Amino acid sequence: MSVMASAICQPVALSDWQNLLAVIWDFLSLSLFSLGGGNTLLSEYHYLAVDKYCWLSSQQFAEIYAIAEGAPGPSSMIVGLLGMGAAYREGPLWGVLSGVMAELAILLPSTLVMVAAALSWNRFKDSPVRLAFERAMGPITLGVLFAVGLKILRISDHDTPAYAVSLVVCVLMLRTKISPLWFMACAGLLGALGLVNR
Amino acid sequence: MGETTPAPTHWQLFWGMQQVALSSFGGGLSAWSERIVVEERGWMSKQEFVTGLTVARLFPGPNQINMAVYIGSQFRGLSGALAAMAGILLVPFALLMALGLAYYELHTSMAVNRLLAGVITASAGMALSMGFKIAGAYSKDPIALGLAGISFVAMSVFQVHLVPLVLVAGPLAMAWYWPRQPKVRP
Repeated sequence: MSVMASAICQPVALSDWQNLLAVIWDFLSLSLFSLGGGNTLLSEYHYLAVDKYCWLSSQQFAEIYAIAEGAPGPSSMIVGLLGMGAAYREGPLWGVLSGVMAELAILLPSTLVMVAAALSWNRFKDSPVRLAFERAMGPITLGVLFAVGLKILRISDHDTPAYAVSLVVCVLMLRTKISPLWFMACAGLLGALGLVNR
Repeated sequence: MGETTPAPTHWQLFWGMQQVALSSFGGGLSAWSERIVVEERGWMSKQEFVTGLTVARLFPGPNQINMAVYIGSQFRGLSGALAAMAGILLVPFALLMALGLAYYELHTSMAVNRLLAGVITASAGMALSMGFKIAGAYSKDPIALGLAGISFVAMSVFQVHLVPLVLVAGPLAMAWYWPRQPKVRP
């Protein structure tokens, strides 16, 4: 599967079953690394969808992230939108099917582990492994979330007004309890008026 | 688990979690989850619910979905977990798919394109805030800040992928934070 070999990025079609298996495997194997609620995976999603499989442009990835953040429900459902992007050129129905498959693949392993954890929690809640794991993963998650935030900032913003809006939203997110949908609506208006460009 | 109420059936788990998903459309999913599961339906005590949240946050996977899986598996094992997960995902995911279809159909249009050019500056700000939100918890632990700094530089500067990063830094950090080790500060 030398998808990366050529410099020209060709979208990888899922109609070839070998590609399909490779893609499903990529999502399955990322599942258990979704620390801190799943946002730590965003850089990997970008790598897979934009660099490795060429389903989306960086700009489209930023837009899909915005949609997943704005929609109700866990924002990690962005995987469903990536899956849809992978097959949309074959038709909307294939897009939906691919989106559902991608979501199931990313959720299956973590769900199985969660069931095992829920059923055996009382036995290992005080074990040193659990305490060490909890303390160790927190700081790593922190560093990864900063890296992910910077990555999304870089692919979304390309001029000073755009960076200014992002910084204001970031501060308001931390200092107020205003619903993020308001920020998206106001920023969308700035875009529609041509005050913020790509 | 519940002392007064009988254990919910698969069907009740599915509908209960769907109620949680629908109630929380404006946000605050975990608060709605507690209100419905603990207060309205009496499936768990408050303490049992808080334990569930701890487990859901500790293990990989989206926190809210993990919480549904925890609740379902407490009562009906794996199949209960799947019923609860289906309940919490069905409507939001269907809506997301509808939004996705609209996006892939319309994103080339000029008006939508300009609108989205603005919207992504807001979501980029939201992404940037994720790290700051949890940073306060580590501000007094220099080792943790160092570990976070190394993880950040590895990913942002050296383009290290998440999986190798966690596989290398994770065990090292676990060894450092191992509770029986005398080096660990309280």
